[in-house]
Amino acid sequence: MVKYFAKRFAMMLIALFMIVLITFVIMHSIPGGPFTSDRKVSEDVEKALNEKYNLDAPLYEQFFEYIGNLLKGDMGPSFKYTGKSVNDFIANGFPVSAKLGGITIIFVLIAAIPMGILAAIKNGRWQDMTVMAVATIGVTIPSFVIASVLIYTFSFRLDWLPTYGLDTWKGYILPVVALGGYSLSYLARLMRSSLLEVMGQDYIRTARAKGLTELKVITKHALRNALIPVITVLGPTVAGLMTGSFVIEKIFAIPGLGVHFVNSVSQRDYTTIMGVTVFYATFLLAMVFIVDIFYCLIDPRIKFE
Amino acid sequence: MENKWDLLESSNEDREKIWTKNRTFAGDVWFRFRKKPTAIAGFVIIVLLIAFALAGPLFTSYNYSVQNLEVVNIPPIMKVYESPDEKGYLYITQSIKVVYVEKDGTLGSQLKKVRDVAKENITIYDCNGQEVALYYEQKPYLLADPESKIVYNIKHIWNKSFILGTDSLGRDILTRLMYGTRVSLLVAFVAALVNMVIGIIYGGIAGYLGGIVDSVMMRIVDIISTIPLTLYVILIMVLLGTGLKSIIVALGSVYWVDMARVVRGQTLSLKEQEFVVAAKTIGSSTRTILKQHIIPNAMGSILVTVTMLIPSAIFIEAFLGYLGIGLQPPLASLGTMCNDATENLRSCPFQLFIPALAICIIMFAFNFVGDGLRDALDPKLKK
Repeated sequence: MVKYFAKRFAMMLIALFMIVLITFVIMHSIPGGPFTSDRKVSEDVEKALNEKYNLDAPLYEQFFEYIGNLLKGDMGPSFKYTGKSVNDFIANGFPVSAKLGGITIIFVLIAAIPMGILAAIKNGRWQDMTVMAVATIGVTIPSFVIASVLIYTFSFRLDWLPTYGLDTWKGYILPVVALGGYSLSYLARLMRSSLLEVMGQDYIRTARAKGLTELKVITKHALRNALIPVITVLGPTVAGLMTGSFVIEKIFAIPGLGVHFVNSVSQRDYTTIMGVTVFYATFLLAMVFIVDIFYCLIDPRIKFE
Repeated sequence: MENKWDLLESSNEDREKIWTKNRTFAGDVWFRFRKKPTAIAGFVIIVLLIAFALAGPLFTSYNYSVQNLEVVNIPPIMKVYESPDEKGYLYITQSIKVVYVEKDGTLGSQLKKVRDVAKENITIYDCNGQEVALYYEQKPYLLADPESKIVYNIKHIWNKSFILGTDSLGRDILTRLMYGTRVSLLVAFVAALVNMVIGIIYGGIAGYLGGIVDSVMMRIVDIISTIPLTLYVILIMVLLGTGLKSIIVALGSVYWVDMARVVRGQTLSLKEQEFVVAAKTIGSSTRTILKQHIIPNAMGSILVTVTMLIPSAIFIEAFLGYLGIGLQPPLASLGTMCNDATENLRSCPFQLFIPALAICIIMFAFNFVGDGLRDALDPKLKK
């Protein structure tokens, strides 16, 4: 088991290295340097700037320096905002995104699992149909459409909830629903199909045959096994929600990491783009790894290759 | 009454009667596919959408990029006032100008301004020789008779000139919707095709050769699939610049991973089958075996993966357009149309809801077809 995790960990590190490499190569093959602008900078100034940020060194040297700095936790300075570092952006943006994401995860779990269970138990009846209809809508409709419809209905028309900001608890409602819509629908569908599959297994028949109540059959025998596929997809879901959706943060004017990323893309702030990408990827991989460990602990049937 | 217990006559002709014509594989798939109403509905919608996107622009007299600032933000259903001569209607635009509307709902010319009466907060316009007054003191603005101050009758009529209204630059939304649908479908189909080709070649080679080549190629796929793909699409867009080509390249270069996995899995099991062994014994080349025997047999799963890929390509395109890193204006895509409309959401919700509805319809249609196709191609998957 330790060997298996060591292997997974090594894979994760290789993947991370590849991510840094690809990002670095893409960012450095963009024509024009970060200081190219409409205003012509004198050659001396440009040379000084390049020297300051070590941009005149050979590319591989810059790459290893970048990796070295990354290992020390330093993502370099922002090219567009003098005096600000990429670390500042992440330190400012991530807690906001993480808080919104955390609340969204709780909301998604509380809503999706009971929805899926209900749909599976009432398979084929109207409860099932309703849950599946809602889930299909949630999976297919893009989040920005959901967000816009929510804003129009609850903020503009009914005037119940604020359109932007997270100052009050009311401000969280719309972003959480819009952000969690997809994951909620996806998890509910997964929970339903997984529980339906488990309910057809032999051990459920055995449990029923020995006279357990239906409630006990479901909670004690079915649910435990049915939750496993849900837990597998939880890793990427958590990472995706915690790091924040670009669109939701843009619509609701939430100063999270996603907004910083989109801004840095449109302003071509290369170090910030690189830093945030690497941060996102690391977080995602770490989440998937942690969930993998849990997954193996929960389900003893999993064989370690 | 005849005796039911007698033996029936047995003839070969009767036996033949229960035979039906052999169905081909495609016929079989179609037979199962058409049993699902949602799948058929999705299929019909996709055909209609393609017709709408390709043939639609031939029937419209507007251009998707020409701005007409005189008719900005006009909704599909207009609130109009009956004109004093009762031959037509009057409509107040958002820039506080009065436009004449014919009885059938087509927009006419702007009324000429006669004078301002700043003291009473009214402007007098000339409507076919009669004076009408526009009260702009408070919203909603009113049109009334300047003498008697009686507000003209209010009616809601359909906009016949711009069936779906105009956007904030006075462009016809219906026309832009046609071009936007065209762009979205184009991006989706081309990206799906590119992914299919890359995925088939990559997965086919990995699965067929097996061994160390397979494990190296699949490790690469594993690594790529851990990378958050949306981020990479955005990075590639930064590298290549915004535009249609960049979106297609970005989507095409990133999303082939699933396809490669599917093809590899199919190839692995198919290459052990007797017909492949037979092809090997008669000396067919690897290329022929892959092309003639393995890929055609894996086509079912490939098709299902492609139909599932198309909606996600449309989704990413809309997402990029919405973030403002997709197409460049004045080109229209469904995502950029939504993005343009967000600023006006409060006053002109139709500008956002129309393209958003189009996106939803496309997504639903492709998802339904994908589901139907999966069930039809692989009946074993069904419970």
